Amino acid sequence: MKSETGFDPALFDRFPTKEERPPGEIEELERVWRAPRGWGLLTAVNNNYIGTFYVGAAFMFFVLAGFLALVMRVQLALPLQGVLPQETYNQFFTMHGTLMMFLFAVPMMEALGVLLLPQMLAARDLPFPRLSAYAFWAYFIGGTCFFMSLFFGLAPDGGWFMYPPLTSTTYSPGINADFWLLGIGFIEISAIAGAIEILVGVLKTRAPGMTLARMPIFAWAMLVFAAMILIAFPAVILATLLLELERALNWPFFDATRGGDPMLWQHLFWFFGHPEVYIIFLPAAGLVSMMVSALSRVTLVGYQLVVLALLATGFISFGVWAHHMFTTGMPTLSISFFSAASMAVSVPAGIQVFSWIATLAAGKPRHNTPTLFLVGGIVTFVIGGLTGVMVAMVPFDWQVHDTHFIVAHLHYVLIGGSVFPVFAGLYYWTPMMSRRPLSERLGKWVFWLMFAGMQITFLPMHLTGFMGMPRRVYTYLPGMGLEPTNMISTVGALTFGVGVALFIYDLARNFRFAVEGTAGNVYGGGTLEWLPNGLYAARSIPVVRSREPLWDDPNLGDDVEQGRYFLPGTPTGQRETIITSPIRAEPQYLQIMPGPSVWPLLGALFTAGFFLLLTIQAYTPAVISGILAIPSIMRWLWETDRPVAKQEVDVGGGIRLKTYATGPSTHGWWAMIMLLIVAFMVFLMLVFGFLFVFGVHPEYWIDFNASGPALPIAAVYTAGGALVLLGRHLLQREGSTLWSPTTQVLLGCLALAGAWILDFALWQDAGIDPEASAQGALIMAFLSLEGFLVGVAVLMGAYLALRTSRNMIERPRSVTFDVTMLFLVYTAAQGAASTLLTRLFPGGL
Amino acid sequence: MLEAWPPPIFDPAGPYAWPITTLSWVLLAMAAAVLVLVVVALWLALFGSQRAQAKVGGTKIIWMAGIALPVVVLTALLLYGLWLTSSLSDEIEGDEMRVRVTGEMWWWRVAYLDDEGQPVSHDANELHIPVGQPVVLELESGDVIHSFWVPRLSGKLDMIPGRRNLMRIQADEPGVYGGQCAEYCGGPHALMGFVVVAHEPPAFARLMIERTAREQAPAPGAASQGAELFQTTGCAACHRIAGTDANGLAGPDLTFMGARRTVGAGILPNNTGTLMGWIGNSQAIKPNNRMPPYPVLSREELQAITAYLEMQR
Amino acid sequence: MGDGLQPALCILLLAVVTLTSACAPPPEAVTETALASAERGKAAIERVGCASCHTITGISWPQGKTGPALDGLERRGLIAGELPNRPEVLAAFVQDAPALVPDTAMPAMPLTDREALDVAAYLYEIGR
Repeated sequence: MKSETGFDPALFDRFPTKEERPPGEIEELERVWRAPRGWGLLTAVNNNYIGTFYVGAAFMFFVLAGFLALVMRVQLALPLQGVLPQETYNQFFTMHGTLMMFLFAVPMMEALGVLLLPQMLAARDLPFPRLSAYAFWAYFIGGTCFFMSLFFGLAPDGGWFMYPPLTSTTYSPGINADFWLLGIGFIEISAIAGAIEILVGVLKTRAPGMTLARMPIFAWAMLVFAAMILIAFPAVILATLLLELERALNWPFFDATRGGDPMLWQHLFWFFGHPEVYIIFLPAAGLVSMMVSALSRVTLVGYQLVVLALLATGFISFGVWAHHMFTTGMPTLSISFFSAASMAVSVPAGIQVFSWIATLAAGKPRHNTPTLFLVGGIVTFVIGGLTGVMVAMVPFDWQVHDTHFIVAHLHYVLIGGSVFPVFAGLYYWTPMMSRRPLSERLGKWVFWLMFAGMQITFLPMHLTGFMGMPRRVYTYLPGMGLEPTNMISTVGALTFGVGVALFIYDLARNFRFAVEGTAGNVYGGGTLEWLPNGLYAARSIPVVRSREPLWDDPNLGDDVEQGRYFLPGTPTGQRETIITSPIRAEPQYLQIMPGPSVWPLLGALFTAGFFLLLTIQAYTPAVISGILAIPSIMRWLWETDRPVAKQEVDVGGGIRLKTYATGPSTHGWWAMIMLLIVAFMVFLMLVFGFLFVFGVHPEYWIDFNASGPALPIAAVYTAGGALVLLGRHLLQREGSTLWSPTTQVLLGCLALAGAWILDFALWQDAGIDPEASAQGALIMAFLSLEGFLVGVAVLMGAYLALRTSRNMIERPRSVTFDVTMLFLVYTAAQGAASTLLTRLFPGGL
Repeated sequence: MLEAWPPPIFDPAGPYAWPITTLSWVLLAMAAAVLVLVVVALWLALFGSQRAQAKVGGTKIIWMAGIALPVVVLTALLLYGLWLTSSLSDEIEGDEMRVRVTGEMWWWRVAYLDDEGQPVSHDANELHIPVGQPVVLELESGDVIHSFWVPRLSGKLDMIPGRRNLMRIQADEPGVYGGQCAEYCGGPHALMGFVVVAHEPPAFARLMIERTAREQAPAPGAASQGAELFQTTGCAACHRIAGTDANGLAGPDLTFMGARRTVGAGILPNNTGTLMGWIGNSQAIKPNNRMPPYPVLSREELQAITAYLEMQR
Repeated sequence: MGDGLQPALCILLLAVVTLTSACAPPPEAVTETALASAERGKAAIERVGCASCHTITGISWPQGKTGPALDGLERRGLIAGELPNRPEVLAAFVQDAPALVPDTAMPAMPLTDREALDVAAYLYEIGR
């Protein structure tokens, strides 16, 4: 057998081990992983808790957003009703879309990832439990406050894609739009934190032997999902930042009268917005693949094809964004490309649908609630997919675009492709988290009410669209013939609502949170989440030899529980998990994990406070809150990356692993690289915006004669980066004094800050005015973005210096040093690139 | 506004709409066929005989129905769609009649252009076209993004600030065709309709000659009390009537108000009662539109202004 | 939301009223308006836009404020302050008010005789 890391796979044959485990080992494990009690539960970071909170919060937003939809349907039941005044209706549909997309769909998928992935991969926890906690709290606090804006009439009313100039200060003078921009921008940050967590978790914490080819489909789906978030979300973060800057500081990025372009928003938004649909669909498709296989008691037919389909969807989905813009008058050539890509993306969906059908045929699916939801979901999703192919045809889209046909289409896709699978999943996985499973009898009622409600609501709505009713209308005129289908849709929506209400009743009656003594594997799944579990996940981490280990090795559960596999206890006396290699999952080292802490919660609270107070224009409290967030986050980090007494420990079967690792194989390094991908995508999107706006309105651009200092400034940036690299080099060498590597980093920080100040000052000299034209605004945006990175770099340098002064950077334990270095080098590179671009283009070339 | 039945998309009235109707039927048929295929496969998978289940339960069906079939169907559709896209948007030759339509919150500014592109006649919320000839529309926006849509004549095209989009419409029969703003533009977006009126070419030519002449001539009823009130009560600040001092550009041009078919941008029939109600308190009819209510007008004043506007034909 | 339920309730009420009114037509109105239909009247009101000036029960949009609200018509002594309150007079008034009351603000409306009677029937329905 080949090896990826030098680990001998033959060692896996030592498991399950035969010898007795020492007494007290399991008690020690329980002690280390014990959850805080009472109010202390708020400081919990373990994925069982955070995952459950997360799923619960996402479900809460689903119910709230659904309630808004019901009120809207009542308003539209008859023409010209006054259930909701125009202003409130416009806020309702904006909030419905926004909540469903940003506060339900994506977080629900991340929540399921946090909850299920560690168990499926047989890791003790995700690699950054405190980051999960931070992501959850930020999302929960931010989302709740965002929702509350509805009660004060301050909710945004520009539609969930917030097209400027409708959302500019001229046409939306209130703070409603700011709630959206700051609230959603902030929640996206939490989504990215979750995505990094999931990516590193899937790639680095799988059970030994779980090669990529043996990975559960859900893990594949989450891998693609998280990677897509890293690529797609920066676009919307940048877009919201730019629009907020336009609103707050009058920088005209989207204002056509000053050389900006409203289409820039649409490109940025949909570059995120379309992948977003697949971001929501792929994890759900992963759940479906898991469940059809488990419920049919047969392995998934066409596993490789499905994996390929997931990857293909991820790639193609970045080439389809402009199909939301077929009616904006784009050139025929470009719309043809996007039309073709939009059709191509349906092929991977077809692969998955037929794989599920084949799996159902190959096995013996039983008539139970999850299966009903799966089959209902497949049918519904296929209808949505077919109408999707229809609207990918450009001339057809010219007619139905922005009508109720689209409303019907997107609800078929999202409910069939995502909501029904999630409900199937809630029924299927609840026994893992609860003492009692959910009721099968009620469940069937829930399904039929929801399924019938769905079809009754949205099938006639296609016709409503054909009849010419645009979307986002608070009313329609009588006597045009729109009454019957609208009334039917409202009846259907209420039916759907009754189904969801019944589900909540079922939850209240039967869901009793538990980690031990759960109802267990009632549906007979074959993957690792059904191993006997505690807060520490499985007692010992099994060697994985197939895709459904529980089916293939009936003794596995028992062996795992008796500690006959990896890590049966806690050799270092702390929380820990095994880091494995990304492809073949060979054990690399033992990761020490942080435990409960109040700091992620406080960090989230203050970060949320910063954004929300900013929204309501309470600037001083906002700044105070923002400043408080920084020490909170640093304090949480302070406890990580600590020296461990034992350098190497026995992780079972006589296999010894290091308790610390350095360099590119570490989970910290991987996470930082992913963060830098996000930063790079933000930068790339800004470069796109710069070139795009120039392409549209070159007549507004003037030559600032600013190219002279371009090279010197870039040189100073480069020097900063070089100093940091020198520091890293010194750290590896014996003999240099302890302070010297950190000194290099601090000098590097100084160079970066100097270069930035020079850049900024010289632009001021050149007479740049960000309010005068989009050119000035964009250049200032580059400077601001770089300034933000430099600020963070300086903070990181200070943190590193502080730790160095406390003797916490000890050679060769360099993780803190490494991540600082990576960030600083990136900052230097981006600084050099942006100064060259803004100063040389277009005048200096 | 749009008549919903028969569905306008399936009731095309011009050469830029009917090919899309054909396409729509083809697509619906395709979707129905594929849906039946999937449901049958699913049915066999769940309830079929063992033989049927064995047939469905393998990777072969993924290759056949999940890959090969979509590739073939989609390629065919794509070629059809691309051909149709380019044939519907072929070069605009430049000798067609041109009208500039500007989307405003929440009404439509209309200007008929001469060969040099100069406006010769102004109107609002109503577009007159000759039957049987393509008319090129220059679509612009005065504020936010709107979308111009007359489903029986063509697909929709957005009106974007800072840009000018060109589209063609053509009606084959005389008649009135409903239109509607299709891009959410805030507030009363739901109540932003308009009508396109198609005339036989001779009648259309007469109409244009009359209107072009009217733009240069004094307005009717100049001596009436309504004309005076139109100036003194503030109407003229936002509305223009050609041949008078009323030159406001913020609101719809009222030079031909009396001839218009609708009041309030396609939402009410134009008669003395509705016009009077609109002038008196348009906020009660179209909440949040830009025109303030005029409770200060006395009964006689209201009647006089209404009568004056009805003279503007 | 109280307002919001009103239309739905009203429609329900209207249906009930329409049914019962067939059994018990208002006195005096038997001969002239026996064939008038409140339902058709409502459609005519919506078509010509009476509600542009008048708030009319059962018509949720528009709710014009330029003219008086049209409720309690049954109990009023006179129409427009000077005409006898009888269906055929009301019908004539909604069709061509200035002909009956020269100094009224109400303009003539494009209604047929038939529709005018229907409109009057509707106004009495809601005016009880």
